[in-house]
Amino acid sequence: MTVLLASTAGNVLVWIIWVGAALALLASALAVVLFSNPFYSALALMANLGSLAVLYLLISAEFVAAAQVLVYAGAIVVLFLFVIAYLGGRADAPWTGVPKFSSVAAVVASVAIAVEVIVAVVVSWTGGLPNAAEITAAFGSPREIGRLFLADHLLAFEVTSIILFVAAVGGAVLGGAARRAEKAEAQTPSEEENG
Amino acid sequence: MSQTINQPWWIDLPKAFLIVNLVLLLFAYLTWTERKLLARMQLRYGPNRVGPFGLLQPIADLVKLIRKESFLPLTGVDLLIVMAPVVAGFTALASFSVIPWGPIWTIGDYHITGWVTDVSIGVILIFALGSLGIYGFIVGGWASDSKYSLLGSMRTCAQMVSYEVSLALAVLGVVIMSGSLSLVDIAVKQQETIWFAGPQFVGLLVFFVAGVAETNRPPFDLPEAESELVAGYHTEYGGMRWGLFQTAEYINMITLSGLMVTLFFGGWGGPGLPGPLWFLIKLAAVIFAFMWIRATLPRLRYDQLMRFGWKVLLPVATLNALVTAIIVVAVD
Repeated sequence: MTVLLASTAGNVLVWIIWVGAALALLASALAVVLFSNPFYSALALMANLGSLAVLYLLISAEFVAAAQVLVYAGAIVVLFLFVIAYLGGRADAPWTGVPKFSSVAAVVASVAIAVEVIVAVVVSWTGGLPNAAEITAAFGSPREIGRLFLADHLLAFEVTSIILFVAAVGGAVLGGAARRAEKAEAQTPSEEENG
Repeated sequence: MSQTINQPWWIDLPKAFLIVNLVLLLFAYLTWTERKLLARMQLRYGPNRVGPFGLLQPIADLVKLIRKESFLPLTGVDLLIVMAPVVAGFTALASFSVIPWGPIWTIGDYHITGWVTDVSIGVILIFALGSLGIYGFIVGGWASDSKYSLLGSMRTCAQMVSYEVSLALAVLGVVIMSGSLSLVDIAVKQQETIWFAGPQFVGLLVFFVAGVAETNRPPFDLPEAESELVAGYHTEYGGMRWGLFQTAEYINMITLSGLMVTLFFGGWGGPGLPGPLWFLIKLAAVIFAFMWIRATLPRLRYDQLMRFGWKVLLPVATLNALVTAIIVVAVD
């Protein structure tokens, strides 16, 4: 992909792939929200993550693209599908309408994204964005990302790992408590029988 | 690779086409080999009616599968049922593209590489494609709208996600030792030093066990335990749609064996014979081990499978990666 980008700025192939991936990204994002069946929403989310990975590829971040597919599409969305399929996602959930505050939040978020897009477009027109020449060949390589994680941003990296660990322990404790409660409930009648 | 490779697209494309078809042919004759081998191990003859030694059996099977009635469950989701085996088959075939099976040949000004493509993230790419392949199984089982299919696909999903972790951690040791994620670099590094099967013996064992589970091969074929689930996720499938699932399963086994040869047994390297032949010999040996295990061991119980994956395989794999990292840093 680096070669593709480096050849000419107006490389047609890159543009076609970019437009295709960007449209797929928007369409699948809409689909996630619009499907009433949660199973389809999860599949659309997978498509969304996939097209995002293509966009990563286009900016030469191959490692991030593959990790994105492996971690999000491969592990997290699979767990979503797992839970949805177990809970019987076939029955369509009735539309109950949204509470007021979430529509306010939606409007705020859309305005924020619109402002962001406008700023990005204006800045790139005035030439304020870094150009491709400043990005070295090592950009996005596993080596470079490893260096960023373990040298430049070690503290943030370690804090993240601690937060994830706390979350995992919390999940285990919550699940364990529920299981203990179930066990206690199941045992009570049998004890009465014995007595 | 540091050297520049002059390989225009008109070499690339036919080569990729050739490899895809070779892998498919290998799959077809793997089914024959497996049936023959299992039969011999169980004191039977195996297929011996179609052609000499039953050699035309895979072709007869193919014709039968294609000509079968194409049916769909009444309450299923048709589009997803049709797409699921396609996804499974595609990801299985695509993974093989990064596995190197030969050196670089030079003809005049042009180079012909012994791999379809060499990417800097080869190992991760294979795992990413493998994790996408799970969708074929889980979506196919869910869309069939049958309890057996759903339970089968749930089992597939849980099993593959669990064992993928150990599989990736087992590879980590090799990656640390070779200092690269590119499969070509890893193979070349072993040809220059020693095969990683020696120093990474624990990693090799974990990789092999997790690989058997990852490809849903016996004794880890819980997703399609016929005594419990009829046939698991593909209960409602028939004809070539079922055939495509079967294709995906066998090609996954080929790719995994190829990955094992590349990661632990020096890839295409070996004395005397040309590279692709060495690769094929090693591949055949690993696949034979897969089939041997199938003929030897009975199926595990589901809770045993999960306990083994999380409480034995994962700690061993983690420890292996940790010890390797410490030793590599200490030696440096």
